[in-house]
Amino acid sequence: MEGMTYLTVAYLGMIAGIAIWTWTVVNRSKAIEARLEAVEASIGVAASDADAVAKEQAE
Amino acid sequence: MAGRSAEALLGAGFLGVMTTLYLGFQWAPSVAIDAFESPAAQRIFYWHVPAAWSAFIAFAVLFAGSAMWFFKRSPLGWRLHVAGAEAGLACGLITVWSGCVWGAAEWGTPWDWTDVRLNTFGLLTLLALFLVLGRQSQPDGVETRDTFSTFGLYGFVLVPFTYIATRIWEIRHPGPVIGAGDDGGSLSGDMAIVLLIGAVSFTLFIIGHILMSMRITGLEQRLEQAQKHLDGGMEWKE
Repeated sequence: MEGMTYLTVAYLGMIAGIAIWTWTVVNRSKAIEARLEAVEASIGVAASDADAVAKEQAE
Repeated sequence: MAGRSAEALLGAGFLGVMTTLYLGFQWAPSVAIDAFESPAAQRIFYWHVPAAWSAFIAFAVLFAGSAMWFFKRSPLGWRLHVAGAEAGLACGLITVWSGCVWGAAEWGTPWDWTDVRLNTFGLLTLLALFLVLGRQSQPDGVETRDTFSTFGLYGFVLVPFTYIATRIWEIRHPGPVIGAGDDGGSLSGDMAIVLLIGAVSFTLFIIGHILMSMRITGLEQRLEQAQKHLDGGMEWKE
């Protein structure tokens, strides 16, 4: 392969990696936020009670 | 508010990363044609080096988070651990991928099992992979967190080892181009500017990702709590 081909393959791989990573994170954030809003609206859980494992350890 | 800051950092970092790509192709000078086997492929390093730098930031965050959880039982520490592992995995994979392609172009082989730098960095990336997959496959609990935090703490030993590897044993991987001491670096001024823009951009980008990831872990914990309340409520109703 020519040097430019290697360069293209490397950058396409890195662009794909960055795009997939960012898309996954932003999508996960939006999806979980929507689910949380729906569930919390119906029961009323405070954000400070969130980490049950840490809370258990503190007690 | 925190979500907005994370998204702003991500956006700014992404713009900078793309600017680096453009400058690396269009503005940075070519290397001497007789200095490399594949001079064109050398331009891979405008993302490869900043990605490796970002991976080290992520592993430092992983170490700090692991210590905060293990010794202080800090919820913030656990969120830092999770974010550091995810960011370390992503940046580590980008670095390994680009390094392998460059190795194939320059050395004729994508990997050298005798090179200390390649192997310690590969181990760090595998550690991050183990932590990310392990957390997803195990139920959240003190034992799980303690186990993964221990790996995060001891795994960090590989970071300084990886950093100094090319200074002590330069086998295949090139020596440092910045901060090389009396020998000086081999970078021209324009190349150094593009590399600096890349390093700053990748730093912003990874901080944005780490903040986003910490926020997601917090939201997941809130969702889990809410679902427990909901399940409890439904059982009570029955």
